[in-house]
Amino acid sequence: MKTMNDLMIGGGQSRRDFLKALIAASAAAMAGSEPRLMGAEGVVQPKPTADACILLWMGGGMAGPDTLDPKRYIPFEVGTEVEKIISTFPAIDTAVDDIKIAEGLEKIAAVMDRATLIRSHVQPDLGHILHSRHQYHWHTGYVPPVTVAAPHIGAWMARLLGPRNPVIPPFINVGQKIEGNGESEELKAFTTAGFLGSEYGPFNLPYPEKAAEAVRPPQGMTAERFSRRYAALKTLLKHSPRGEYLSDYHQESMLRAADNAHRLLASKDKAAFDLALEPKENRERYDTGRFGKGCLLARRLVEAGARFVEVTTEYIPFVHWDTHESGHTTVKRLHGEIDGPVAQLILDLEERGLLDRTLVVLASEFSRDMIIEGVPGSNARDQATAKTDVVKEMKHYGLHRHFTGGSSVLMFGGGVKKGFLYGETAPERPCIATKNPVSVSDLHATIFQAMGISPKTSLEVERRPFYVTKDGQGKPVRELFG
Amino acid sequence: MKLICWLNLWVVAVPLAWGAEVDFVHDVAPVLKKHCVECHGGDKSEGGFSMNTRASLLDAEAAVPGKSGKSEMILRLRSDDPDEQMPPPKKDRLSGKEIAVLERWIDSGLEWEPGFSFSSGGYEPPLKPRRPELPPVVDGRENAVDRILDAYLKGEKLRFPTPVSDREFARRLYLDVIGLPPPPEELTAFLGKKGGERRGRLVKQVLSRDQAYAEHWMTFWNDLLRNAYSGTGFIDGGRKQITGWLYQSLMENKSFDQFTSQLISPTGDSEGFIRGIKWRGDVNASQSRALQFAQGVSQVFLGINMKCASCHDSFIDRWTLKEAYGLASIVSKKELELTRCDKPTGAKAAVGWIFPELGNVDPAADQPERLRQLAALMTHQDNGRFTRTIVNRLWRQLMGRGIVHPVDAMHTRPWSEDLLDYLACYLVDQKYDLKKVMELILTSDAYRGRGTKLTQRPDDYRFEGPLMRRMTAEQFLDAIWSITGTWPKPDSRAFKKDGRQQGGQLEAVLKAHGENAEWGDRPVRAVFTPLNGLQASLGRPNREQVVTERPDLMTTLEAIHLANGPTLAGTLAAAGTNLLEQWKGKPGEMIDWLFLSALSREPTRREREALTELTGAEPTRETVEDLLWAVFMLPEFQYVN
Repeated sequence: MKTMNDLMIGGGQSRRDFLKALIAASAAAMAGSEPRLMGAEGVVQPKPTADACILLWMGGGMAGPDTLDPKRYIPFEVGTEVEKIISTFPAIDTAVDDIKIAEGLEKIAAVMDRATLIRSHVQPDLGHILHSRHQYHWHTGYVPPVTVAAPHIGAWMARLLGPRNPVIPPFINVGQKIEGNGESEELKAFTTAGFLGSEYGPFNLPYPEKAAEAVRPPQGMTAERFSRRYAALKTLLKHSPRGEYLSDYHQESMLRAADNAHRLLASKDKAAFDLALEPKENRERYDTGRFGKGCLLARRLVEAGARFVEVTTEYIPFVHWDTHESGHTTVKRLHGEIDGPVAQLILDLEERGLLDRTLVVLASEFSRDMIIEGVPGSNARDQATAKTDVVKEMKHYGLHRHFTGGSSVLMFGGGVKKGFLYGETAPERPCIATKNPVSVSDLHATIFQAMGISPKTSLEVERRPFYVTKDGQGKPVRELFG
Repeated sequence: MKLICWLNLWVVAVPLAWGAEVDFVHDVAPVLKKHCVECHGGDKSEGGFSMNTRASLLDAEAAVPGKSGKSEMILRLRSDDPDEQMPPPKKDRLSGKEIAVLERWIDSGLEWEPGFSFSSGGYEPPLKPRRPELPPVVDGRENAVDRILDAYLKGEKLRFPTPVSDREFARRLYLDVIGLPPPPEELTAFLGKKGGERRGRLVKQVLSRDQAYAEHWMTFWNDLLRNAYSGTGFIDGGRKQITGWLYQSLMENKSFDQFTSQLISPTGDSEGFIRGIKWRGDVNASQSRALQFAQGVSQVFLGINMKCASCHDSFIDRWTLKEAYGLASIVSKKELELTRCDKPTGAKAAVGWIFPELGNVDPAADQPERLRQLAALMTHQDNGRFTRTIVNRLWRQLMGRGIVHPVDAMHTRPWSEDLLDYLACYLVDQKYDLKKVMELILTSDAYRGRGTKLTQRPDDYRFEGPLMRRMTAEQFLDAIWSITGTWPKPDSRAFKKDGRQQGGQLEAVLKAHGENAEWGDRPVRAVFTPLNGLQASLGRPNREQVVTERPDLMTTLEAIHLANGPTLAGTLAAAGTNLLEQWKGKPGEMIDWLFLSALSREPTRREREALTELTGAEPTRETVEDLLWAVFMLPEFQYVN
């Protein structure tokens, strides 16, 4: 009988074959606890326009008006009424005539002709803004709490598409430190394959510069010793007096997993994890901090055959994009962190001929506003820590409320249009989406569509279907595809 | 798919003469089956409408008993509007006679076969306890479990499983009861014993280690009751630990009826369970705390999945939205409105217990009293569903697979009703003492049976012996730490709850022992350590959902963690130093001792050779580390088999 693992080898196999094989495996081999693919015969899987996906995650709530959706600019001046302020950065031109973005993002502006920019991404009003809850929603498509553990979209791709290169884990998560984070448990809740099982879970690399260590023998161990140790294990297995029981599928899973792990740890492809192998000038281009290095790592991993890579600016409560005060100053720094690496990533992928088949998505759990918490009319509690009616000092200047009425998503490659603007928000407060709102479900459906996964695809859990987009209802935004 | 075969026997509905009685099974069900159930039955619920049960038909207001003329389904069956008509265009319409059958069925009161559903193979488990007569003793196997299994296996034409050696038995027993492999000296002492009573005595002795038992079973109960020391919900005081109460209850082996009553109708220390998890902000109606209560109580104590029914009438079993809200209303201090798929229906929910045969909860009583009444109904002597559910869970923990499988779908037919029913009665006979049920199972010859492979299709499962089980993350780490003397230092947060009431788990343990003393050098079992990357990869869950089975397969990410993760590497480095010191100049004895500690057996000649080659004649810390790694990676180590 074929193991699931045999089926995972992407190699010469077409996706269709892979899905077919999965279905067969579901029907025949599911003595274990793997959830089954449901009704797969009835769901038509779209033709993929991308093979890999990179999610650039602006954790903490990236303010649209200060980044990709600039509005009327009011410069810093003591005494300005905060109600008058919408954007704290002036707008600049981009490579596309009708698209302007915020000052500080000049390099992204220069590659806008490769991008599809959505300005009408909307989030539900959950009554009280909690980052981890919206992040859970964005990463899984389901608003928590959910009665079964919902998988991260990367885990769905790992489960449904498998790895592109059998030695590279299909779902890699870069830049998010989970342990010791103020909301670590909440982050763990969606940084997971959920009910799909940890085989499809994230390979976490919180520090890009240390990624190589994650695929190297443990510290202080030579490669020779590492393989000797594994050889000893193999010998023990061969001579085990319990050998007759080793055909058990449980034990097979152990040996297979150990083989997978050692294949990665012994493979040449693991060089992809090692940023030190990148030419110095390239490293410098990306080196604006952990996020920049993460972008470089993502590029290397996709080149080596990763399926889904998330790179985050890292969510830490009240840090980075989570500006409850001093928003302008913080965002200025963040512009510097993301502008170069994001643009360079696109240029590098393009130069290597990978952009056409790699979908890059830059997104955040919601936007921010100077005044409005949630959406207009929401009874969400104001959480700004710099409350004032008029700007008295720099810390008052910035977008300090969580805004769910309209945010921006930037997409590149993987079949989406180039130099294309979709949706808009109102020019004046409330800056809610006024055209073509795109929900999380629909955005996911769009991403899955590009990856060749129907939004109606479902797996059986607890004898009921669980869909890749909520209730199978996500609708791809077809206008975004070229 | 037994149901379909059963339905096929009916072949064609016999046309009815006017005035004749309409019979659900013979007249109505075939028509529904032929025209409707494909889209509105089983797993399917086109348009959100399922007719799996009478309740689901009624709840969707598809039919009004006694009034076919006012029944939506009839109007649609007779309609010619392509947007309205049923079956939809392109499908065959019903004949006049078929519609007439349904009309008369509705007019005569919508009779339904009791317990029948289009979804579940038609099996409706009994509610009341049943005491099966024990079959005669075969081959001297007097244990009740064995007597039932002997008869079962004979019926299935299967042989009684061959017993494992005493060594294997001891390892299995220790890991199952206290979560640790037997230390070499205890194992050797046991192996030196003769006499037929030796195993029974060991079972009693291991079961009597109250602290170690409690520490091991905390894992199971934490998963089941969603008890976490930190996590989602604590941020706003929206969650409460039951750590101290749980540990204490396991320590004193609280009777299960009392244990359950204290969870359902709680005191301050045990109220975390029914409080559930409150998320900040608005949540889907089906995830309000009251509905979480309905789901938790149903799943944990009755093996009922009320998750579907919390949103709409279940398509997978017989439970309805009203029943889910009935349970939720028991705990809710304010009246609840029935909300279907997050849309308010305008109808008010009524307090109600789901097995009214046993009695009901007084809607007029105040909430604490309602909870007391619910606890009494749950632990009612005639509530066989309650006792069957817990003994099935224990059987799953000790034997690898439930008598009913999956353990949370207790409406599934058990592979041996006699065994399930006997154990359930036995629990009551033993005054709800869980350890007594465990003892009965652990002293059976069946428990000693050679581990079997699960190669069969799940639908065809037959008991042939215990199944191998993977160690939990906690067992795996505890085993390594205990063997190598590398217990972790206690986390300081474990001694004091923080402002959000997180942590403090070891303080709770000290308190349960009536001690204010320092923790000192006492081992800290993995169950009391925070969830980290290694444990998560080994299958320790976030406790936001009820978890009743840990993953039984090893994953690649886990193997990477085990091959090069800093957590395990750090432990092995410390262990290498310890062992090198302990076995200076005696590498051969070290290998023998390690095998005995980890696998409860001596190495074979070839194994000893292979490992001696690895360590060399003069082991270094590094080669000892490698030796430990190779042994701890063996499936034989990582499985309870």
